[in-house]
Amino acid sequence: MARVFYPIERFAPVPPTFHLLPFRFTRLNGKELLVNEAGEFLFAPNGTIQRLTDEQLDTNTELYRDLKAKHFVYDESSSPLLDILATKVRTKFDHMCGGTKLHIFVVTLRCEHSCEYCQVSRQTATRGEFDMSTSTADRAIAMMMDSPARAVTLEIQGGEPLLAFDVIQYIIPKAKKLALEKGKDLDIVVCTNLACVTDDILKYFRDEGVKVSTSLDGPAFLHNKNRPRPGHNSYEKAIEGIERSRVILGVESVAALMTTTAASLDYAAEIVDEYVRREFHSIFLRPISPYGFAIKTRHRTGYEMGRFLEFYRQGLAHILKVNRNGYRIAEVYTQILLTKILTPHGTRYVDMQSPAGEAWSVLVYNYDGDVYASDESRMLAEMNDRTFRLGNVHKDTRRTLFTGDPALQMFQASCNQALAGCSDCAFQSYCAADPVYHHATQGDMYGNRPTSGFCTRNMDIIKQLFSIIEEDDRETMRLLWSWVTGEPAIREVVECV
Amino acid sequence: MDQSESTCTPDAPRAVVEIDRSMVSAEALLKTCYWFTRDFVCEIRNRNEHVAEIFLTPRNPASAFELASAKNAFTTSAMDFALREKIEAKTSGIRDLLLAKAFSESGVLEGQPEGVFGDTIEEMKPEGMFKILSNPQH
Repeated sequence: MARVFYPIERFAPVPPTFHLLPFRFTRLNGKELLVNEAGEFLFAPNGTIQRLTDEQLDTNTELYRDLKAKHFVYDESSSPLLDILATKVRTKFDHMCGGTKLHIFVVTLRCEHSCEYCQVSRQTATRGEFDMSTSTADRAIAMMMDSPARAVTLEIQGGEPLLAFDVIQYIIPKAKKLALEKGKDLDIVVCTNLACVTDDILKYFRDEGVKVSTSLDGPAFLHNKNRPRPGHNSYEKAIEGIERSRVILGVESVAALMTTTAASLDYAAEIVDEYVRREFHSIFLRPISPYGFAIKTRHRTGYEMGRFLEFYRQGLAHILKVNRNGYRIAEVYTQILLTKILTPHGTRYVDMQSPAGEAWSVLVYNYDGDVYASDESRMLAEMNDRTFRLGNVHKDTRRTLFTGDPALQMFQASCNQALAGCSDCAFQSYCAADPVYHHATQGDMYGNRPTSGFCTRNMDIIKQLFSIIEEDDRETMRLLWSWVTGEPAIREVVECV
Repeated sequence: MDQSESTCTPDAPRAVVEIDRSMVSAEALLKTCYWFTRDFVCEIRNRNEHVAEIFLTPRNPASAFELASAKNAFTTSAMDFALREKIEAKTSGIRDLLLAKAFSESGVLEGQPEGVFGDTIEEMKPEGMFKILSNPQH
């Protein structure tokens, strides 16, 4: 005699009541998008939230089960799971733990390039007084190693840091020695345009385990337009430097970054193709920063955020097309945001953190010993705005840097959870505050979100990404997941029994 | 509400939105206006104790269609902010508890957050997690 199970209702009585857990929402593509405190999200039919707040939602539906599974509601059976949600929230904010990890050393302001949008206020290549002294380097290294972070990154930049190679050679062994004594892991990156690089310098980097980050703005005509130097050969120098660096350091130790100027806006596909041609597997479509020389020259290099967003849309579409054609290349900003959206984790990208990454996640030691909350803060100082100068390595300790007025004023405007326009925003978990940007562009660390380029950019891009997620094209999602996980995109497998 | 200098003229075309004050609080209305201040000068007047009128004057010339769209968008946004207030009223206590738990190093609260709050189902259980975690004497 055949035996059958009782219907499922017999085993799982429908809970009579439910309660809401905190969440925020927005409307997108005719649906309601709900996001909880841990950044978990759910698309729901219009009217769902009204029914939730009126406690009229049918608990015997798949929608209710989804809402419960993703911590938007709880009932008798799911009540003890609050601790799990708290753990997820904690995981999302993991970047706050451990203290400042990224330490940027500006070893010189000298540079042989004269880029109009340059984020540093360069000095001519022969003026040694703009190099970091050994005593300043010693104090900065000591301060870096005072950070409670178990692993720290030393990023050496300029100006063009290779013009002060002797300073680099002084800093690296000192930092390594102290890291060993303090039991810290130390990563070292040199940000250079590679124009002055030699094989001897690269061999030194290889022997010391140093990585190189360079600039590549696109094809030759664009790169050379953006980055003028004597000989008008910045592109040729960069490409030659990249190839030599790869040979000596290894492919994985060489990265490139681009900056989008007004001249770049019509060439999204060409820029991506240049990165593919040079066999890079990531590209960061970055807008120009409103700091340093970019402020002075914004009539030539600047643009409205709307134009950048159109550029970004074209670039991302082209990158996806390139991936579908078989070449793996990830767009870094999409990768960062999708990591926040699709996984329990935050990221270490300091420009998109709340509390803001400035000081918490990054400190900048200028050649003269002044310490800034970020590289952008230092650029403001070069324009005579020292709002974010936290102190000086010769006068301050780590404690006084973090408890001085500049730091405390900045920290007050650092949490998007408490900012007008952000506190109700559905995308709060994925976004940031960036008091330095808003101070620079609006004269107010708190900022006005409706007119903020930062808000416009992130709202638009996050909506683009959610539209892709909601559309749920399997091949596109496989590609995007591969960017998030770092694993190759898995082709669909037909299972044979 | 006008957060920046107006660029509109006094007789410029404008949209008028009527809001039932029993449905949308003053705070929700102000939050709605905040997002419209980029494109409009927002002026709030109370027609009577039940109805508020919001005059949306575009900062740049706008067509009748754009004004009608703005009116609809404003109403939708105001109702959404009212919904957000309802959600907050129902969840602010448990949000405080959640964040307190998330950021306490040991998972045990050092002090009980102020006010009435908590996981209402768990709170009812004498031996529930809530009681255990929030009462060190337990």
